[in-house]
Amino acid sequence: MTIDTDIPAPARGTASPTKGRGDWLQRYSTLGVLVLMFLGFSLFVDRFLTPLNLSNIFQQIAILTIVGCGLTFGFAAKEIDLSVGYTVGLSGILVPLLLTLDWPLAAAIGAGLLAGIVVGLINGLLVTKVGIPSLIATLATGSILFGVNFLLTGGRAIYGGLPQSYLDLGQGNVFGIPTLAIFMLGSALVAWFVMDRTVFGRYIYAVGGNRKAAELSGLPITFYRMAALVIVSLFAVVAGALLAARLGSGQPNVGERYLLDGLATVFIGMTMFRPGTATVAGTFCGALFIGVINNGLNLVGLDTYVQNIVKGVIILVAVAIVSRTTKLSIL
Amino acid sequence: MSCTLENIIMDFPGTRALNNVSAEFRFDEVHGLIGENGAGKSTFVNVLGGSLRPTSGQIAVDRRPVSLDTPRAALGYGIAHVSQEGSLVPGLTGAENILLGAEPRSAGGVLRSRALARRAEELVRHWFPGLSLPLDRPVGELPMADQKVIEIVRALRGDIRLLILDEPTATLEAREKRQLWSIIRSLPQRGVGVVLISHFLSEVRDLSDRITVLRDGMHVATLQAKEATEAQLVDLMLRREGAAGLAVKAQAQTRAAGAAVLRVQNWVVGGVTVPEFTLRAGEVVGMIGLTSAGHFGFARSLYTRQGVTSGRIEVAGRPVDGGGVRAMQRSGVALVPDHRMENALSAAGSVLENLSMVHADTAARGGILSRRAERAEAGRIIRLLNIKTPGDGQLIRNLSGGNKQKVSIGKWLYGAGDRYRVLIFIEPTEGVDIGAKQEIYAHIQRLAAGGAGIIIASSDLIEIAQVCDVAVPFVHGCPGSPIPASEFSEARFIAAISGEAA
Repeated sequence: MTIDTDIPAPARGTASPTKGRGDWLQRYSTLGVLVLMFLGFSLFVDRFLTPLNLSNIFQQIAILTIVGCGLTFGFAAKEIDLSVGYTVGLSGILVPLLLTLDWPLAAAIGAGLLAGIVVGLINGLLVTKVGIPSLIATLATGSILFGVNFLLTGGRAIYGGLPQSYLDLGQGNVFGIPTLAIFMLGSALVAWFVMDRTVFGRYIYAVGGNRKAAELSGLPITFYRMAALVIVSLFAVVAGALLAARLGSGQPNVGERYLLDGLATVFIGMTMFRPGTATVAGTFCGALFIGVINNGLNLVGLDTYVQNIVKGVIILVAVAIVSRTTKLSIL
Repeated sequence: MSCTLENIIMDFPGTRALNNVSAEFRFDEVHGLIGENGAGKSTFVNVLGGSLRPTSGQIAVDRRPVSLDTPRAALGYGIAHVSQEGSLVPGLTGAENILLGAEPRSAGGVLRSRALARRAEELVRHWFPGLSLPLDRPVGELPMADQKVIEIVRALRGDIRLLILDEPTATLEAREKRQLWSIIRSLPQRGVGVVLISHFLSEVRDLSDRITVLRDGMHVATLQAKEATEAQLVDLMLRREGAAGLAVKAQAQTRAAGAAVLRVQNWVVGGVTVPEFTLRAGEVVGMIGLTSAGHFGFARSLYTRQGVTSGRIEVAGRPVDGGGVRAMQRSGVALVPDHRMENALSAAGSVLENLSMVHADTAARGGILSRRAERAEAGRIIRLLNIKTPGDGQLIRNLSGGNKQKVSIGKWLYGAGDRYRVLIFIEPTEGVDIGAKQEIYAHIQRLAAGGAGIIIASSDLIEIAQVCDVAVPFVHGCPGSPIPASEFSEARFIAAISGEAA
């Protein structure tokens, strides 16, 4: 008989139900650092606080934010997607490729979205039905997508012959506002609404918060875990299509950096508002954080490699903070 | 020739696991160590085996004071510990496991595999002549019994005088147990004392020379095994001071028996077979037993269907076929599980998020939540159960045990109306303070009065006596005849769960 393993838990939960000042400090310290950084760059770097540069920052983080919003769903359900960068790459190739084959714009983008759903479903099935932890399953599918991306393009960039209507998605303006910024805000709003204001989002958090409890509450946990991974991929293919439009070409290797930076936005976001929990607002601030750092260090004239080092250190600090409050178990 | 522990105190953050426990373990006896879960058995043998350093107390081997700060130090004094979980490397052979860390090597540090096989063979023959073990196969492929013996041989490979066996037979079948029993019995004659922890009282009584009983971290008694009856041992394990005699339920609640809300037939789960069980509306049924008697597993399986190999289940007259948890939940069965932080609640979630874990859609239209509606419903549950929280946004991990448990119950009330006709509680007041306990009992009664059928599986007999209309005692996986509330008494309970027909 192995059913009874009842070990009474002595002295559990005697913490007082009050929010202390430390709690407040922890929720908003990263946000404070962001504000300080912003002020610092504004004061000491000449070309930082100009309308043009601020608009630049938004354009630079737009695609990152969209990827991060998707990853937020994954993290909320305690699933990580390491293939996300190559999924960005996939649609960044597929959509321009189909356009050069004279597909109509809507059809090409529809195909990109479909590809995202397929990738997400494959990841989801591997994780829920085959039972491979998402960290490992998506590492493998990422490698597969990497290969597919190069096969599709023969390793070359796809450019020329892309319709202006497509390029406008990534380069245009609407009433003076860059389209990318609109897509970014739109994606963040949709993600926030779904996570925060719908039953679906509530249950995604429940499944990620305690899978066993969610299961014993009668929730279809397999559905929510799969859904989370499909949403990660969907946001990634949207980001990829916009990225190629912005660059004016489809390139097989531009998606990769969105894996690390995307994870970083979520991790930084998890240090704020609700420490240990991935939130859309947190992810948005995380993306701003990275955008401000990249941009500021750029203007200062710091080498890209040094920027990478700085970014890595910041991610480590963020993860260290999160790990102190909650077990960061995503395996 | 003995090891003595005196006045051992072991403090963990927030709790005293051992309170002045003393015992003497001789090197020529089998010494049984018994107690309910949480009594402190494992902590005590971990101190003896060097895995835990006690907060205070003295330890002596052959009357000389020693300190057993590490398992290695304990081994140095001839004390070896075979833990419950098993510590073999599944991919290595029996021989490799037996000599793990002590492999014969040639001058250059190269393993001498033939010498290793021979040496392992010799050890087995030395300790257990006549026993044949396939030492050349990976232990992961061997039956549990062989694995246990290999672990014991490994523990005995040094100069061992005291062997701690923690639940050695827990995973074994009856036939395998007998083999292990004779091995255990043979050790004292070879100069190796045994400290035996087991939940099977008959086993402890048959194998041991003396038995020590622990309860709530305290030493209750040490007695000669031959002179002890099982009922006496159970009594020592369970009887709590200050609760002299269970207060027989004040108002014999003989509510008019309602319609059957749950009926199972030929229910087989784990080692438990229940030919027939019926729960009626308005009824509160307690399930009691010793730790491994199967009452928890049975109660849980009525909701989870986990490990159920056959059986028929009807909820409110309608059979529920197939499906697991979701099918049961949809047909109106709810589970308030034990270990709430693992099984019921999301620690990082808020009170509201946890309350709405089952029926968030009650406060939503078209899948979109209404802030106002869900706060109103959460507020209703918070008031109904008197959950003490500064607000519905408070995180669960900041609540006290009693309030956490109330949220765990509240999940099944939030937006549920009277949808749940059967509520199953496992250890409903585990880690709950006295005030909250009474509130939870009152609410369980209210649910029953509202027409729900309630099952409570608990190791707290006082709780069962206070809340239930009838108690079903489980012995070795079999439910006995139900005890009506009018006959509730501690003696009656104890006799029933230790297997003595009343």
